Amino acid sequence: MKIQLKSTAAIVALSSLVAPAAMAEETIKLGLSVPLSGAAAVWGKGAEFMCETAADEIREDGGISVGGETYNFACLPYDNKYNAAEGTKVAQALLNREGVRYIGGSLGTAPVKALQSLAERQGVLVFTVAWGASLKGTDHPMTFTQMNTPGEILPVLLRYVAERHPDAKSVAMLNPNDATGQETEALASKVWTKNNVDVLTSDFYERGTTEFQPIAARLASMNPAMIDLGATPPADAGAIFKELDVLGWDGVKIVEVGTGADGLKATGGAAADGVYMGAGVTFDGDTVTDHQKAVNTRAKERIGESLNAVQIGFYDSLYALKAAMEKADSIEPEAVADSLPRVTFRTFYGGEIGFYGTNIYGRDQQMRLPIIVTQVRDGQLEEVARLIP
Amino acid sequence: MDNKRKTVLHWGLGGGAAILLSLVLTDPYLRSVLTLMAISALLAASLRFVMLMGELNFALAAFAGLGAYAAGYMNTALSVPFVLALPLAGLFTAVASALFGAITLRAKGPYFLLIGFTFTEAVRVVYSKIPALGGTSGMIGIYPPLSLDDWMAGIVVATSVILLLGLFAAERSDFGRILLAIRENENVARSVGVNTYLCKVIAMSCACFVAGVAGGLHAFVNTVISPGDFSYLLAAFALAYVKVGGENYFLGPIVGAVVLVALSHYAIGLGGSEHFLYGGAIIVAVLLMPSGILGAFGKVGPRSVETKVRAARHAV
Amino acid sequence: MQHVIQLGATALQIGAVYILFSLGLTLIFGVMRIVNFVHGHIFAIAALVVASLLPRLVEGGFAAPTAYVLASLAGIGAALGLGALIYFFGFRHFQRDLVGSFILSIGFVLMLDGVLLSLFGGSVRGVPEIFPGTLSVAGAQITMQRLFLCAVAFLMAAILYWALAHTKLGKALRAVAYDHEAAMMVGVPYGRIAFLGFLIASFLAALAGALLAPVTIVSPVIGTDYLIKGFIAVIIGGLGSVPGAILGSFFVACIETVGGYYLDSSYASIAIFTLVIVVLLFWPKGVLGRG
Repeated sequence: MKIQLKSTAAIVALSSLVAPAAMAEETIKLGLSVPLSGAAAVWGKGAEFMCETAADEIREDGGISVGGETYNFACLPYDNKYNAAEGTKVAQALLNREGVRYIGGSLGTAPVKALQSLAERQGVLVFTVAWGASLKGTDHPMTFTQMNTPGEILPVLLRYVAERHPDAKSVAMLNPNDATGQETEALASKVWTKNNVDVLTSDFYERGTTEFQPIAARLASMNPAMIDLGATPPADAGAIFKELDVLGWDGVKIVEVGTGADGLKATGGAAADGVYMGAGVTFDGDTVTDHQKAVNTRAKERIGESLNAVQIGFYDSLYALKAAMEKADSIEPEAVADSLPRVTFRTFYGGEIGFYGTNIYGRDQQMRLPIIVTQVRDGQLEEVARLIP
Repeated sequence: MDNKRKTVLHWGLGGGAAILLSLVLTDPYLRSVLTLMAISALLAASLRFVMLMGELNFALAAFAGLGAYAAGYMNTALSVPFVLALPLAGLFTAVASALFGAITLRAKGPYFLLIGFTFTEAVRVVYSKIPALGGTSGMIGIYPPLSLDDWMAGIVVATSVILLLGLFAAERSDFGRILLAIRENENVARSVGVNTYLCKVIAMSCACFVAGVAGGLHAFVNTVISPGDFSYLLAAFALAYVKVGGENYFLGPIVGAVVLVALSHYAIGLGGSEHFLYGGAIIVAVLLMPSGILGAFGKVGPRSVETKVRAARHAV
Repeated sequence: MQHVIQLGATALQIGAVYILFSLGLTLIFGVMRIVNFVHGHIFAIAALVVASLLPRLVEGGFAAPTAYVLASLAGIGAALGLGALIYFFGFRHFQRDLVGSFILSIGFVLMLDGVLLSLFGGSVRGVPEIFPGTLSVAGAQITMQRLFLCAVAFLMAAILYWALAHTKLGKALRAVAYDHEAAMMVGVPYGRIAFLGFLIASFLAALAGALLAPVTIVSPVIGTDYLIKGFIAVIIGGLGSVPGAILGSFFVACIETVGGYYLDSSYASIAIFTLVIVVLLFWPKGVLGRG
């Protein structure tokens, strides 16, 4: 009986192996390890959309030509549920079941660590938007970062804010108690101090919190000139600014790695006005290209809100890979990883960029993306400064 | 006597086949599925062991987490070797759960269930606050020795078989009968001189030893653990394995784990639709097969409890 | 002194929502002896319907308060529909089966996670303010929106309290909760009473969802946080006890408010859990729980 059971199990497991049918042979599968359920689902869905958008564009442009063959990308999004255990399952399924040799993008520090651990053993190239500094560096020669991280954003953003508001000499900080929050907080308090701003308090709150009144009351009671919500997700940040507004606090508002104004406005309403963000992307104004607008319109239909920097990373990585594959004239991950730091490619933000980061991380693994400072003004997100590092 | 010999035979064949399978499988993906099945079966069997005395141990997720973090910390920070870290993680968890049980087992039924639920969520926040445990981004680099790398699937399955055998023996012993008596009527059990409170704490501690070792295996197999791995959903899934397999059978949790883990590995390729399939499977199984897969397919394998008990129970 | 009043006001406002939530949980437990994890999704669906309907109604030319009432009715209707569906196809068969009903509710939770996400999308929805303005009470600031929420919550709690003591249905609910076999023997139709109890509980959750939609972050996962706090409230107060649920809700709200003010708010979460364990050390059945 038991043997029978085990063999049934093996059959079930085997059948799951065969299920997603094999693609045409000139397809390069790009695995995506992203949250597709739970609170961060919208990021994962947007990432999937951007990967597909870039793959379609590249296909229409004639694909990737390597060694006389033409290849195309296919995106395989898997749900990592934002934790390491599911991240491991996803990594196993992508690498050992689908035979993926490129990760087009991955989101969430814990699941990405799980993915990286397996990928490095198999020589798989990994793109990630995760911020953990421990994910980068010379120990991880196959990992590349497809989004600006606090290391890039904070020095630019905080100096800009400090210069714009020379009288504001104190700040109260709040971050979500997760990997991104802890990472951001550690760096931000240093940068504020360097800009001669006094950090009055630096708190954490649990993700998934829905009642922000006590938090707002605590922040307001310190009477800071500025409130910096660090890596707080936009919707939470909006709710906190709204409660602060009720309490009568009025000062400089910052969401350092705020990615979008939609969530901020949805929960903050008028209280979102004046907020500075370091990872926001605006789709209003003269500098926005038709291509950006068109893609964003389709994204809004599909996922319900404007694209953000996290999702755009999943577009850029495909063009970077294409360029590197063509330069290396190979689809072997090691050869591609070798040529990636030496290529330039067209980014979604416009213009040709390459990779940098030897100064900070010991190797050129970071996309040289523009750092854009945005501010909410009269309900619109406006670009107030742009710096290309 | 014949029965006993049959039981031994079953265990020999079943356990042997499972271990053999883990050794002959060369595909790394199928191996990873098999190890996950073994770990899930251990967790589900641990949950079912506490269910023998009529309590639902939702703190299972927290204790699996304690085991995983204990094993991970010992291995990465204190350089305790794998073979030692694993049983020590189990012992640590057993002691912690005995303390927890001593406090909470004074409460019963839904209270005990819900305390376990809140405890699980609280412990997760605590991990995230301790930098030595890697905070929220998790602990990395929990590797078994390189020489064991190829044998990990076999080690996991073999460990699981041994622990399952232990639980089975405990269930068939006098101690197991006391637990069933407690479930039926604790007052009667107490009136014949059984220290029911002590028995419950011991049962909890034994079950959590298994959960702790399962957590330790989880840590060494995945090499990375994060607080998010040990949410209440882990216990919920373990309960699903028990329920779908058939809670009245010792094999129930094992069958449930094998079927549902296979299903979840199939579903993971469906992106966000995974929840539909998984939730749907649980609902259908619970509604259409109230005594699980084993119950639905008739009298398969050794039955441990009369169905009568099940119906009478939990009329709190 | 002023911040003491402000903290008190905050605790009261947060507590009001927890009351609506935990009353439903305690009612379902009292009547059916099941632990209902789907409660959070019933709450979420009401909030989501309000959040997605309200902007459309306002665009369609309705005045904000009218649109809000209409959207709330639709949201509560949808939530009640879901509640009835779950009862008939699920919990009806699992009355008084703690383990069975619990695993069923986990199945529903997983499935509804998927359903809500694909129906409403994962993005956060903003709901315009319905009752603008802020009231200043002895130096504490309270928005009209929150004040309205509190008033309705307390009114509902009072009505429920009164109805349980004085109406025929209320007496039947109490009788079933106390001893369902004895109640059936004296002619209380258990099946119908259980269904009505489940619907009333779902209504309370839906009402909380509709009331909260304009002041919070509406997304498909909104229910979980309230569910955890609601459960803590009923454990502390005593499962099945109405005054216990109210007491527990205030207790949780106070810890959350004071803890969040004087400590880091993630430590406040740990404090809440620790206090639950402490309370249970002294009262294993909750402060106001019976056998």
